[in-house]
Parts: sequence; structure tokens; C-alpha cells
Amino acid sequence: MADVTLYHWEPNANSGKPMLALAEKGVAFDSHYIDMLKFDQHQPEYLAVNPQGTIPAMTHSGPWGERVLTESTAIMEYVDEAFDGPSLMPADPQDRWRVRWWMKFMDQWLGPSFSMIGWCTFVGPSLAHKSEEEREAMIARIPLPERRAAWRKAMFAEFSESELAESSRRIAKGVALLEEELGKREYVASNQYSLADINIFNSTYMLPVGNADLCSPELTPNIWRWLKTVYRRPAVQETWAMGSGRFTDRFNAIMGDFV
Amino acid sequence: MSGAVLYHGEPNGPSLSVLAALAESGLDIECRPIDLLAGERHTISGSTDSVAMDFAVEGEGPVLVANGEAMSEAVFLAQYFDEAAGGCGLQPNDPYKRWQMLMWCRQATERLSPAVAYLGIFATSQRRLAELDAGTFDTLLASIASEDLRARWQDLRDDRVDAAKVADSKAKVAQFAERVENQLADGRAWLMGDFSIADLETFAWLRPMRSLEADAFAGKGRCSAWMDRVEARPSVQAALARATTDHPERAFAPGPEINRWG
Repeated sequence: MADVTLYHWEPNANSGKPMLALAEKGVAFDSHYIDMLKFDQHQPEYLAVNPQGTIPAMTHSGPWGERVLTESTAIMEYVDEAFDGPSLMPADPQDRWRVRWWMKFMDQWLGPSFSMIGWCTFVGPSLAHKSEEEREAMIARIPLPERRAAWRKAMFAEFSESELAESSRRIAKGVALLEEELGKREYVASNQYSLADINIFNSTYMLPVGNADLCSPELTPNIWRWLKTVYRRPAVQETWAMGSGRFTDRFNAIMGDFV
Repeated sequence: MSGAVLYHGEPNGPSLSVLAALAESGLDIECRPIDLLAGERHTISGSTDSVAMDFAVEGEGPVLVANGEAMSEAVFLAQYFDEAAGGCGLQPNDPYKRWQMLMWCRQATERLSPAVAYLGIFATSQRRLAELDAGTFDTLLASIASEDLRARWQDLRDDRVDAAKVADSKAKVAQFAERVENQLADGRAWLMGDFSIADLETFAWLRPMRSLEADAFAGKGRCSAWMDRVEARPSVQAALARATTDHPERAFAPGPEINRWG
């Protein structure tokens, strides 16, 4: 049994962040697949691990007993510091500041916009076949009030036109800022592959198919160059091989065109 | 740090925590006060790379210009000072303790600071903004690159208060004071055991609430004693001594937005 257990959904977005960081560091882990669309994350077995009912979560056992870690970006920072292997943070303090800045920009400004559109177009419709009572029962099991409100919006298609438009505006702006950033340096925030690349790749790898109007070799040559470089990393391919279903199909389709 | 300049507002919220962190680090960086509510943050000169100034999630916080680059976000500036100083004790070395500190700071920046900023701007800054003539305000607005930050300035000038956000913000301030009270229940002096960025960040945002939301602190003796302890630190005293008004705790400009999704 490995010292590390990761509870995760598909390698997409947040779940994939610690998976990729662990793969880059060469840390073996027990994988627990949590099917988000079946609400595994709100079942008692998982709530015993993470009472907040959010994924991913990681446990790390050692002389100290068992630690439970949550929040994907913070888990990655822990993984980078707690284990041997190549450093996923640059050494220069200003570069380190920039890595953190970009991760916050993604986690709190750009990422939620990607997420809102994804929940509106994919997560909500995936559960539309369930009866209203069934959906209400699923919502009632969610521990965090904010998450209850989010799931309700997705399951009952309650997004307003103005909030979706605002998310689309932010995605276009964020992609433009990322293109500018990748014109300054080889990777996001520094000249070495870092946690910022993992974080941002995991929410932008699908741009070539999902937002072809914003991201193409002509429109965003720097993002294109960077995506290709990250796609080719062995740790990225290894991690995506653990995925299943629609996300991995999409990833492989993009990969096929790229490499 | 030759040539680096820290542009800061009155010592309140993020400007207070960053000024105190700088003092803790002992780094020699020039500090220049600016009037955040006059929009002066958006016309800072000397940077050739301003993305972090223009699109800071934190809103109107302090800006450090170093090597031609504008740097923002209070917690990350504090980490930067700590690391540039070769470790001045603002962050634990142990990876797990560091994770705990970062998780705490994230709760503070995602839940507490948007709430405090929302309550603070309408309580202290609305009138001054409303009194600006249209031309002056339009010039100010035009200097702001971020469309959503611009919208928060416009809402403030127009006094568009959202009652649900006020209620939510008041609840979050009280919950955070409660969280601090519980965290200190084992008798520890500082939030993470040892003094850290978590103390500065939390204190800097709770301090202005002592007068505006006094009820949130009622009966929370450990939280109040901890706030007095943080305030007594020489670094915090040095930061507060940079105030140019009698009441820096009433100096607010639009801060982080209240979580819209996720």
C-alpha cells in the first residue's frame, strides 16, 4: 500500500492537478476514483475522508499518522515540498511570486468562468434525465451551502444570460492575457515547468476544440506552442491514461492532432 | 532591493498586512503612499509589465514595482518578502504546516476580505466618490483596465447596495471572528502556533470591523486578545505609523469581488 491515497475524478481541471504533480515527482499513490456525476463525493464513505465533500482530497501517512489534504492548488504545493523529485517551483523569489499570482488568477477569476460554462453545458445536462425528486435528494446530501446552490443552478438550468455572458467575456480576456504572458517566457510565470503550468494547462488543454474561436495557431501562437510542449510531457500522458470517458476521449482527440 | 518601490494605501486591509510583512522581513524597500480611492493605483509609473496590477483578484491593494514589474496580492507579497529575505519567519518550513497556513490564508482572502471590503466601502467611501464631478470620475474609471473592477467602482459611486450581499458579508465577518476564537481555544498565541502571514492577513482585514461590526466580536475574548497582541507587534505599529489620516481603519477602496461561482 502506498503512503499516498488520492481521491479524484477525471484528470480534468481540479482533480487532475494533484495527479499531475504526483506524476511529475514520481510519487506512487493509491487511486480512488470518485464519480462526481454519481455524487460519490457526497456519500458517507467519502465524507469520512473529507467532510466538505469536495474533490480532490489526498491522504499522506507517515510517522505523524494520517494527514488529510484538500484544495487542489494547495495539495500541489504540499506535494512539491513534501516529496523528492524535480522541483515544480522556480528558485527565484519573484518567479515564485508570479507562479502564485497566476494560480490565483486561474483559481479565482478565470477558472470559475470555465467552470460555470462547463457546468451549464455538460454537468447539468448529464443529470437532466433524473427526476426532480432524485435531483432534490442529491442536492440535500451536499454539505456546503455554496455547493448546494451551485448544483441547484446546474441541475435546474438556472444560469442567467448575463452571468453566462460575463463568463464568456472573462474567458476571452483570460486567454488573451495568457497569450501575452506566454510571449514573455517559455512557461507560465517562469522559464521552467512549474505548478502554474499544471494548474493552467488543466483548464486550458481543451481550448483548441472547445474555444477554437479564441485559440488557434494563428490567433494564439504562444499558447499553441506551450500546449504542445506540455502535452508531450510523459507525466501528462501517464496521467491522462488513467482517465475514462468523455474527457479522455477529448484529450486523446486533441493529442492526436498535436503530436 | 535596489529600485523597488511599494505603493500602498492607508494601513488598512491589504496595505496594512503588506506594510507589516515588509517590516517583519527587514528588507530595505522604499514605501510610497498613494490615495487608492482617487484611483492612483492605476496610474503608477515605472512598470513595463502591469498585468498583475491591472487584474489583481484582490482589487485595490498595494503594488510592489520590482525590476520593472508590478506585483500584487497581499499574501503573495508577504511570501515574496519572506523568501527574498532568506526566510524571516513569516512562513513555516514544514510542508504540512505550510499547507495549513495557505489554507487559512485562502479562507481569509476568499471569504473574509471580500466581505470586509464590501461592508467597508459602502460605510466609508461612498460619499466621497459620489461627490466627484462626472468628468473626474470618468477619467478615474477610464484608467482602470479590468472591466469587472470598473463595475465595482461604478456600483459604489451609484450607491447600488445589494442587501443580500450585505447580509452575507456580515455573517462571514462574524463567522471568521468565531473561527479565530476556536482556533485559539488551545491557548496558542498565534493562529498557526508560530507567528505567520496568517496572523497578519487575518488581523489586517478584521481590524476595521472592530468598529463597523462590533457585534461580531462580542464575547470573543480570545479573538480580541489576539488582535491586541498582533497590533502590539513592532512591525504592525510601524505600518500603522505610516497613516496619513486619523482613521486608517476607515480607508477603503473597492476590494475583491464576492465569489460569483464555484
